[in-house]
Amino acid sequence: MTEVAAMELPRSGGRRGETILRLLRRPAGAIAALIVVLIVVGVLAAPVLAPHSPTEFDYERLFAGPSWDHPFGTDELGRDLLSRVLHGGRTSLWIAALATLISMVSGAVWGFVAAFRSGWVGEMMMRAVDVTLGMPVILIGLVLVAAFGSSILSLVLILGFLFAPATARLARSAILSELESDYYLAATSVGAPPWRIIFGELLPNTVPVLLARASIVAAAAIFVEASLSFLGLGVQPPAASWGTLLQIGYASLYSSYWYSIFPGVVIVVTVLALNTLGNSLQYALDPSRR
Amino acid sequence: MATYVLRRAVTSVGLLVLSSMLIFVVLRLIPGDPTVLKLGGSGTDVDPRAFEALRHELGLDRSLAYQYVHWIDGILHWDFGLSYFSQYPVTTLITDRAGATFQLALVSLLLGLLIAVPAATLGAVWRNRVFDSLLSGGTALGMATPSFVTGIVLIVIFGVKLDLLPTQGYVPFGEDPVESVKTVLLPAVTLAVAIAAPIVLILRSSLDDVASAPYIRTAQGKGLLRRRIVLGHLLPNATIPTLTMVGVIVGDLLGGTVIVEYVFARPGLGSLMVDAVYQRDYEVLQALVLLAAAAFIVTSFIVDLLYGVLDPRLRVRGQEA
Repeated sequence: MTEVAAMELPRSGGRRGETILRLLRRPAGAIAALIVVLIVVGVLAAPVLAPHSPTEFDYERLFAGPSWDHPFGTDELGRDLLSRVLHGGRTSLWIAALATLISMVSGAVWGFVAAFRSGWVGEMMMRAVDVTLGMPVILIGLVLVAAFGSSILSLVLILGFLFAPATARLARSAILSELESDYYLAATSVGAPPWRIIFGELLPNTVPVLLARASIVAAAAIFVEASLSFLGLGVQPPAASWGTLLQIGYASLYSSYWYSIFPGVVIVVTVLALNTLGNSLQYALDPSRR
Repeated sequence: MATYVLRRAVTSVGLLVLSSMLIFVVLRLIPGDPTVLKLGGSGTDVDPRAFEALRHELGLDRSLAYQYVHWIDGILHWDFGLSYFSQYPVTTLITDRAGATFQLALVSLLLGLLIAVPAATLGAVWRNRVFDSLLSGGTALGMATPSFVTGIVLIVIFGVKLDLLPTQGYVPFGEDPVESVKTVLLPAVTLAVAIAAPIVLILRSSLDDVASAPYIRTAQGKGLLRRRIVLGHLLPNATIPTLTMVGVIVGDLLGGTVIVEYVFARPGLGSLMVDAVYQRDYEVLQALVLLAAAAFIVTSFIVDLLYGVLDPRLRVRGQEA
């Protein structure tokens, strides 16, 4: 799945402002960043932006096609689908954001510890990562849903767990490459205390790499949450994420295909924008491309 | 070579045993008891005698280690136990549904390669042209599109609008070849699109690496025809590193069949798995996950062997280590 994008490890460096400039100079990166901002703002401002209440029934208009009043059409209870998609995005994005946070923090800690414990402990830690990376994400996700249910909390934890191993691998190689740098050698030779080196030097230098990674993890989290919800094993009605909307729409595909097309398009655009943003960030951070 | 094969075989078997233990334990750590669900209760309103009797009947009152050994012993005799939910033997459920999945996976893989290999090769040959940006745009789009979205779009176009192809079900090839191909077409295209994107990505970067190798420049310098350079030198050499990613592709195929079978209501192993999750049918679930893990481990074993055959350097390194 989205995990495949071979993560070439960029060396961090340069000032933040330069990186952002380099990101914006590539049109794809700039457009992706703009789309991500628009989607996040649109979804957060759903109560203001949505033309209707997402729970307002209209029995006169069930399964209506797109119109000026209902740009995305209406659902099986006559609710406005644009409003449902905007509000559903809050569920999707919150789950993805929290899952990303969990996977980044736990993955980074795992990777850092593995990098510093270079003996068999580190070796075992990375072996564990390799084993979990082998299996398809959706299959592990299904088993974990069977085991721990599909409440919003367990979905967040499951997704956070699913993407932690890949982050751990990246974090480890990021730290290892920093350990070879001259500034690390300099810092250790002047006798700076380890916590200062870790929090003052190493961590700030790996943060950009991890941020680029976070964008890709968020995309993958939205993707997998939507997949589970589409299978009816993710976010459960009456709560609705984009995947849930798509599943309900799929059930009535022959009576109203508009229903599932719009949530589908929103998922694709969001995942595409986040992936592109992440890749462009990596590209912009890579000194060899400068 | 023999030690290399042996070492890899031992590692593979070890991995398989390890994953079987992991699957078994994880599914038994679950809060709640499948027997309670089966007796139709929510925990408090179940007759304790019926509960104990059923637990005994299913062997759930034994120790975890006993249950595990019992399970493995059964599998070695091609017996995966009984479904908690339907009481059918899991082996029967699996063999009944394997055909639909196997056909889908095979056709999708072929279609996916048919899309990906020419696309990646053309992309590597026609550098920096419109095609190149089209290709990377298409790959990015393919990676971002969940297969249920592709499937729904195809159903809307070919099922709802044009009414050309069946959008659900499965017909065994032996029964009715024409119908069989017709029913597999839309699901297979859906899955092929999903797996083609990562293949293009991998093959493309590998082709770029090989293209800058000295022997390609030598071939160009000799005035060899471009077609011969691409087909005789570029592609074969770029395929070797791509082989390591076969595991990823198999993983995508396995995960993809779950979604695609659900979208197209195909009675295969993927939809059996979704049902098992719904019904908390752990006996079926653990068998399916174990099979997926086995498929995965066996493929990487075969790929490692192929890799050793195709790249002699690796054989030597394998012996030294």
